[in-house]
Amino acid sequence: MKKRQIAITLGIMCFILTIAICVQIKTMNSASSTVSQTLADNGLRDEVLRMKERYDNTYRELENAQKELEQVRQEATQNDETAEAKEQELKENNMLLGNIDVRGEGVQIDLQDAAETSSTLNAADQIVHYDDIQWIVNELKNAGAEAIEVNGERIVNTTSITCEGNIIKINGERIGSPFCIKAIGSQSLLYGGLERAGSYMDYLRERGLIAEVKKVDDITIAKYSGVISYEYLKEDK
Amino acid sequence: MILIAIILGCVIGAIIGVNMPMISYTYSGYLAIAIIAALDSVFGGIASTLNKNFDLKIFVTGFFGNAILSILLTYLGQKLNVDIYLAAIVVFVGRMFNNLAIIRRYYIEKFSKERVKKEKKEKKKVEES
Repeated sequence: MKKRQIAITLGIMCFILTIAICVQIKTMNSASSTVSQTLADNGLRDEVLRMKERYDNTYRELENAQKELEQVRQEATQNDETAEAKEQELKENNMLLGNIDVRGEGVQIDLQDAAETSSTLNAADQIVHYDDIQWIVNELKNAGAEAIEVNGERIVNTTSITCEGNIIKINGERIGSPFCIKAIGSQSLLYGGLERAGSYMDYLRERGLIAEVKKVDDITIAKYSGVISYEYLKEDK
Repeated sequence: MILIAIILGCVIGAIIGVNMPMISYTYSGYLAIAIIAALDSVFGGIASTLNKNFDLKIFVTGFFGNAILSILLTYLGQKLNVDIYLAAIVVFVGRMFNNLAIIRRYYIEKFSKERVKKEKKEKKKVEES
C-alpha cells in the first residue's frame, strides 16, 4: 500500500516536472534563434525581447480599447436617427483616413530586385529604389486608387516614402524587397494605368526588375498602424 | 512499480507539455529555477525510497516549497541586482549529484551482492559434484 502511494506521488511529480521542462524548452526555442555566449549580449537580447513583449501587449490593449470605443459609439447611437447618420459619417471618414481595415476589388503589384545581376545593365538600376515605389503609388493614385498598401504599410495622409541607405522606410517602418503593393479601386482603370505602353512598369522591367501586376477580386488592406495627430491645425471659419 | 510510475508520468507529461501554450519570456527564467528545484526533489525522493526512509509529507512540501522558494529568491535577486539564482543552482545541482551518487551506490551494491551469492552457489555446486 505504502509503495503504491510512493509510486503515485513520484509519478505525479515527474508529470509536473516534464510539463514544466517541455514548456520551458518550447519557450527557449522560440525566443532564441541565435544564442550568444557572452552575458552582456544575452542581457541585451533579454531586454529586446521584453520590450517587444511589452510593445505587443500595449498594442493589443490599444486594439481592445478601440473596439470598446466602437461598441460604446454604437450603443450611444442605437436609438437616435441623427446620431446614426453621424456614426455612418464617422465610419466613412475613418475608412477614408485609413483607420479601419478595408476590402474590395483592385490590383496587386509584386516588385522584386533583379533575379540575376546582368553585367550589361547598371548595378544600381537592378534594385528597387524608393522613387520606384513613389512612382507606382503616384500612378495608382492617378488611376483612382482608393486605398494603397505597400508591404503592410497603409499609405495615408502623413505617409512618407524615404530612402534610408539600403532600406526603404514607409511610415517610419523599414521595408525591403520583395515588395507587394496592393491597391483598391477600379480594376480596369488601375490595371490599364499601370500597364499602358511605355508605362513605368515597362521601364522597371527594362531595368531587369521583376514587376508583375495582377487583378485581384477581393483584396483586404489593413488599417494604418500609427496615430495621426495634430497640434497646429485649426478650423478656418 | 515506482519505475513504471515515473516513466508513465514523464510520458504523459511530455505529451501534454508539447501541446501547452508557451509562457512569456519574462517568466522563463523563474520557471527554469523551479524546474531545477523540482528535479532535485524528485531525485531526493527516489534516493530516500531506496534508503527506505521516504516520507510523503516531506517529499511533497519539499517539491513545491523548494520550487516556490527558489522562484522568490530569484525574484529578490533580480530586484537587488545579485545573482541569487546562481546559489540556488549550485545547491540544487550539488544535492542532485549527491542523490544520484546514493542511487548509483545502492544499485552497485545490490548488483555485487547478487554476484557474490551466485559465485558461492557455483562453488557449492563444484564441491558437491
